[in-house]
Amino acid sequence: MTNSIVEFEDADLFFVTGTNTTAQHPLIGSRVINAVQNGAKLVLVDPREIQLAEFADIHLRQNIGTDVAVLNGIMNVIIEEDLYDREFVETRTEGFDKLKSVASRYTPGVVEQITGIKSKDLMEAARLYARADKAMILYAMGITQHTTGTDNVKSCANLAMLTGHIGRPSTGVNPLRGQNNVQGACDMGALPVVYTGYQKVIDQPVKDKFEKAWSIEGLDDKPGLTITTMMAAAQRGELKALYIMGENPMMSDPDSTHIELALSNLDFLVVQDIFLSETAMLADVVLPAASFAEKSGTYTNTERRVQFAHKAIDPPGQARADWEIIQDICRLSGFPMDYTGPEDILKEINQVTPSYAGITLERIEESFGLSWPCPNEDHPGTQYLHKDQFTKGLGTFLPCEFIPLAEVPDEEYDFILTTGRVYYQYHTGTMSRRVSLLEREAPEAIVEVNPEDARRLGIRNNDLVELSSRRGSIRLKAEITKRVPRKVVFSTFHFKEAQVNLLTNPAHDPVSGIPEYKGCAVRIRRCA
Amino acid sequence: MKILAKKDLVEVLKGWSRDYTVLCPNKVSHDEIMFDVFDEVRFTLDYTKPSMPPKSFLLPHSDTIFTVDEGGYHPVVAEKKTILFGIRACDMKGILQSMSFMTVDTDDVFYRTRRENTLAVVMACAGPQNETCFCTTTKSGPWAETGYDLQFYDMGDNFLVEAGSEAGSALVNAGKFADADESGALEQIRSFRQQAQEKIPQLMQLEEAMDKLANNGVGDDLWEWFGKKCIVCGGCTFVCPTCTCFNVIDRKTDNSSGERLRTWDACLYGGFTKEASGHNPRSTQGLRIKRRHEHKLRYFQDRDTHGGVCTCVGCGRCSDYCPVHIGTIEVVKAIVEGLS
Repeated sequence: MTNSIVEFEDADLFFVTGTNTTAQHPLIGSRVINAVQNGAKLVLVDPREIQLAEFADIHLRQNIGTDVAVLNGIMNVIIEEDLYDREFVETRTEGFDKLKSVASRYTPGVVEQITGIKSKDLMEAARLYARADKAMILYAMGITQHTTGTDNVKSCANLAMLTGHIGRPSTGVNPLRGQNNVQGACDMGALPVVYTGYQKVIDQPVKDKFEKAWSIEGLDDKPGLTITTMMAAAQRGELKALYIMGENPMMSDPDSTHIELALSNLDFLVVQDIFLSETAMLADVVLPAASFAEKSGTYTNTERRVQFAHKAIDPPGQARADWEIIQDICRLSGFPMDYTGPEDILKEINQVTPSYAGITLERIEESFGLSWPCPNEDHPGTQYLHKDQFTKGLGTFLPCEFIPLAEVPDEEYDFILTTGRVYYQYHTGTMSRRVSLLEREAPEAIVEVNPEDARRLGIRNNDLVELSSRRGSIRLKAEITKRVPRKVVFSTFHFKEAQVNLLTNPAHDPVSGIPEYKGCAVRIRRCA
Repeated sequence: MKILAKKDLVEVLKGWSRDYTVLCPNKVSHDEIMFDVFDEVRFTLDYTKPSMPPKSFLLPHSDTIFTVDEGGYHPVVAEKKTILFGIRACDMKGILQSMSFMTVDTDDVFYRTRRENTLAVVMACAGPQNETCFCTTTKSGPWAETGYDLQFYDMGDNFLVEAGSEAGSALVNAGKFADADESGALEQIRSFRQQAQEKIPQLMQLEEAMDKLANNGVGDDLWEWFGKKCIVCGGCTFVCPTCTCFNVIDRKTDNSSGERLRTWDACLYGGFTKEASGHNPRSTQGLRIKRRHEHKLRYFQDRDTHGGVCTCVGCGRCSDYCPVHIGTIEVVKAIVEGLS
């Protein structure tokens, strides 16, 4: 997030898109609800009628995969009606002419054709957002899990810059991170192209710095593979070994049939996890890891806040903290890694990561933590980013053209399947499905079907249906609900009994590598 | 009536710790106070209303109630002798009401045994602990009338100590406790109580809200209004001193043995009332919220209140912690004043 959670209560408007906030980030969702009840406006852009729809001043239900067109349409209205922030555009940004030229083609009429959103609703949303004093954009996987995920994010950033809704309190572009430490994992360089703090592996000075810090030579300066490309490489036999930590691609990656083939094609697979996941079942070696309560260390949350958590209980059996396991593997491989503990590792993070330099153990151990960037030990941390200038100086508008879903419905596969999560289960269920109370609340896979579609197909509530795509087929119960629009069905990837990723499309964003979980073509029929 | 110099308290707790598990306010990180086993370093008297009531010592979050093996069933009844030191009067009332709820019709041997082995030492409040306290309205504070074994009144350098039971008297019969000048002490306590009572604000609408509920005068639209913003965390029930609902699960401990646990549950969860057929008599979140508040403010009023006005003890924790402000205070006000 560019901004912080504490700022929600002072926002005048929320532009919420691609996040089922109350279900997936309930404490942020609750802040949105409270602010709306205190007078803030809510513009919701989401195909589904999620809980926040009850509170929305306007709810735009776009056709799935048309986010760039929606956002361009909103910018078109804002520019046409001269509602944009001229001063901000002139002093803080570059490339406005290009944006204007692209946006000019996305008139409300054109956008209505693409997105299904009525012109007048689009215009109202644009005016509300542009005219608000402090408006926050919130998004999550509904924006990113598309073949155009990067374009969708760029378009959100364009919209915020166009209206000057960034660089001030209670504004900004705020991706809600779905796990307690996904921000931290990215910050620590668990990405194929960067070291900690997004320092690029291809930059020579960065390479030199890390070689010096680790007293080694010859660090690889070529970008590595993303998960989606790794799986393809494994299937081609080019990738020989994989070491997977805390990830369950057998359930979480698209087109599971091919994932199984890819993993089976490896010479060697290691899985390090707290439970024996579906992926771990395929492994040559399983390394038991400690859970969050069984180890100490830092987490970096959605607002870039680094907090220290102390171990509460000992890990069971042979389980150990991830860092201990990795350290032993390194030693056995001939590298003398020798950390004494998480405190020691944090010291190294401080030394090699400019944005984390001032986030020392002493400062965060007995407090609620510090948000990066925090370049030195006197720095108070950063509540919101881009205050007087962007990291690179001027913010560059990066206009994008609308590109449809990689797989659009046709006669044979005439529905769009969009996937997500429910409130009670978490991801592939490795943890939450072991909790009896959560299993009571959400025991099985459900597919949401619109009542009109259900009537036409003869499907009643709780009927068993078959859902098929070009890649596979699953059986699960139907819930007949207006939460989904016509010709769209929604399901979740929590349940191995009806593994929805057997159906999803592995087509992915060319830049980030993220697959298009949010839309693929399927057909649905009632089981006899 | 006894008197104890404040500086001697730690010695007293150490002494009690020889024969009892003494649970008392301990300071943990971020200035958070938790009731935990007496620890000289972390023990503190500088506390207000701990976030959690002391109910987890009587009804643990997860509790093995029996084990089973080839030899049969073996109930697990905890009989550890415990002292709860420094609980608030509202929480004392919560324990009394919960004990009634858990034993009046069916004897919950696990709860009852823990309660019977627990001595309660109440720290009377000199005023509201924060802005949500309304115990004077629910008649559950700021001091305890019944149920306590000992009650401490903070008089600056000393505590005046009232005994409420024989077991309590036995605790203060020797050692650092001295006899107080009876009439002077009573006068001091009278004045302490009066000042405390005056400082705690009344929740004026409570009685009217209870009347409306009793007469079916609250429409479901009000509950649905709350229901549509509830994020179903269940937190209100977990922080509530009188919420005791639990779920029961069985699990294998090894190939030839297993155990049954009970774990905290919440009536705010859809599955709590869902029937085997799939039918749910509390079919919406609004109706579940209605159920919870009717339990506190409408039903069980004759049976479980122990001198209180209702089975809400006015601690205000649900209003403190509900992320979307569906606490008893907000609900009561909405019932009387309508929705804003």
